[in-house]
Amino acid sequence: MQGWAGKILDIDLSDNSIETVPLDMEMARQFLGGRGLGARLLWDLVGPEVEPLSPENVLIFSTGPITASSSQTSNRFNVSTKSPLTDTILHSNSGGWWGMQFKRTGYDALIVRGKAETPVMIEITADGVQIKDAQHLWGKSVFETTEALGQDRNKRNVMCIGPAGENMVRIAAIMNDKERALARGGGGAVMGSKNLKAIVVEGSEKNRPEDQDQFKFMLYETRKLLKASPLTSQALPEFGTAVVMNVVNEIGALPTRNFQQSQFEGADKISGEAITDEILVKNQACWACPITCTRISKTSSGKEGEGPEFESAWAFGAQCGIDNLEAITEANFLCNDLGIDTISMGNTIGCAMELSECGYIESDLGFGQADKLLGLIHDTAYRQGIGDDLAEGSYRMAEKYNAPELSMTVKKLEMPAYDPRGMQGQGLVYATSNRGACHETGNMLGPEVLALPRLIDRFATQGKAGIVSVHQDSAAVIDSLVFCKFANMAVSVEFFARTLSAVTGETFTEEDLMQAGERIWTLERLYNLREGFTREDDTLPERLLNNPVQEGPSEGFTANLAPMIKEYYAFRAWDENGIPRPHKLRELGLDFAIEEAYD
Amino acid sequence: MHASENFRLIKFMKIKLFGGLRQKAGTAELNGSGGTVREVLQEISAENDGLSEALFVDGAEDLRPHIRIMVNGIDSELMAGLETAVSGDDQLAIFPPIAGG
Repeated sequence: MQGWAGKILDIDLSDNSIETVPLDMEMARQFLGGRGLGARLLWDLVGPEVEPLSPENVLIFSTGPITASSSQTSNRFNVSTKSPLTDTILHSNSGGWWGMQFKRTGYDALIVRGKAETPVMIEITADGVQIKDAQHLWGKSVFETTEALGQDRNKRNVMCIGPAGENMVRIAAIMNDKERALARGGGGAVMGSKNLKAIVVEGSEKNRPEDQDQFKFMLYETRKLLKASPLTSQALPEFGTAVVMNVVNEIGALPTRNFQQSQFEGADKISGEAITDEILVKNQACWACPITCTRISKTSSGKEGEGPEFESAWAFGAQCGIDNLEAITEANFLCNDLGIDTISMGNTIGCAMELSECGYIESDLGFGQADKLLGLIHDTAYRQGIGDDLAEGSYRMAEKYNAPELSMTVKKLEMPAYDPRGMQGQGLVYATSNRGACHETGNMLGPEVLALPRLIDRFATQGKAGIVSVHQDSAAVIDSLVFCKFANMAVSVEFFARTLSAVTGETFTEEDLMQAGERIWTLERLYNLREGFTREDDTLPERLLNNPVQEGPSEGFTANLAPMIKEYYAFRAWDENGIPRPHKLRELGLDFAIEEAYD
Repeated sequence: MHASENFRLIKFMKIKLFGGLRQKAGTAELNGSGGTVREVLQEISAENDGLSEALFVDGAEDLRPHIRIMVNGIDSELMAGLETAVSGDDQLAIFPPIAGG
């Protein structure tokens, strides 16, 4: 294969059918792969009548044209489905080895439909594709399952769910390579609803770039750029992603105690610096990645594993008012083993702590209780006691106790580690993100805080719409090729276009890719509109819109969303209700969606 | 005249260091005596070659790329940059190149 493998594996667990269908190459050029291809396939396969946890929902695992090419960070892959947490379109991506290995089996994507009568697993090897009994694995943790199925880093890779997915916890993750996660939006619950425990891949095919000379040149140039940038060659390897904890806290944008404050007095104790000083064993890399940002940590009780990343350290830390790094780290490990999204878990626990302190829940739970974390996570995975509420995610839990305003979510997805009152553009990203509150779909940490590529006023609103839109579109490109966003800190989308051209032998320009990004973003938007979402859903929690920050550098600010939304719709050529105009859909080649968008 | 009136109380500025700058300085916190951001950086670099090298390109003129200096939580680039006036009431935070999220 050169770029795309040209094949999709289509499995229906209801009747055990296994089919190989050709990849529509025009679709591939338009939507690239990964997240874009997933969105395009999902548009046709899962309509508004489908309930996310029903057999009619599908899981689409997809790689991109550069996956497994050995281009730096070409290990990542995507899952698309309708989310049981948000009811929106869901895309989620992960690093590690599984994506590379799946591509080597000779497929661009795997569609899983239906529901097995009893627990099964899918195995894709040189012997073919098999649906195997997995009843003996049901109930086992992620680590147990991964080991039982023979994970072998470069040869055989395991993706699976843990008890949380089996119990259809709405914040359940799909885990790959033991501790990597397709984390957000409850994909693990969809996999559980299908009685699908694991997917194991062993591949032997190669993604051989068409233009070898140009590809080798791009490898060389990319290596130089990653090495020359202190961000990718020093900051991330030395301190990991959590090194931004202190800067986000310093500027007054670190959500604390369920977003009641925007600075955490214990931030330094849970920072990347603290991780390096106190618990780091070594750093580690995904396949074909020279950045090595992964942390391997060990607590004093002898527990060792991956993490915590910035978001996880924040979620169990500042969000819950906890500065005990070892407790946070072990909470991260347990989420990995039970298969739970750490951001949603920590955010939801923080919400429960506030519900309890405010008397909505009869409990002695409160902020700062590090000793409660492991029990709450365990009970969530098994839906026991209060864990059954937590398993529904922050919004449904808070709504049950008549306090939905205490849920820090957008479209029912728990917010990550940035307070929009201190980063106005990030608020627009959260409000307009197609999968709900998400920082990965256009993170403004770069321009609003780190001056990447240049600094803009984080409190300003005017002009943010254009910057956010460009970031959203480029993130969609990166998620579809699929590269790692950290590579983009040193390597431009124009470089990605040249690498894609070398791999496929076809010419792609930066403009081609950015238009593809806009096409993907817009189709995701149309999907949600078809589901019944409206401009009213492009919002933020009341607390952030109405309650000014009380102290610190962001004192006095609320999230001033309304003018940014208006500007954003105009920039994207959407009407005042946030519906993309027909001429824009035609310009993007989305003619097929016009009728349903305006239905 | 009371003896204490012969002395002016000098309030030192708190300077917080992050990331690899802590290893360079051997501490996470320093004191400075104010002036401009540039003067404070020169002051703390004067006796520490490692810190000087980490912060500046060629002496003390230009900051290295990606260094962020926050004055009371606001990026100094949004004020007067290295010429931003600071005093003992201010708090400086100095970040080396960092990335993540």
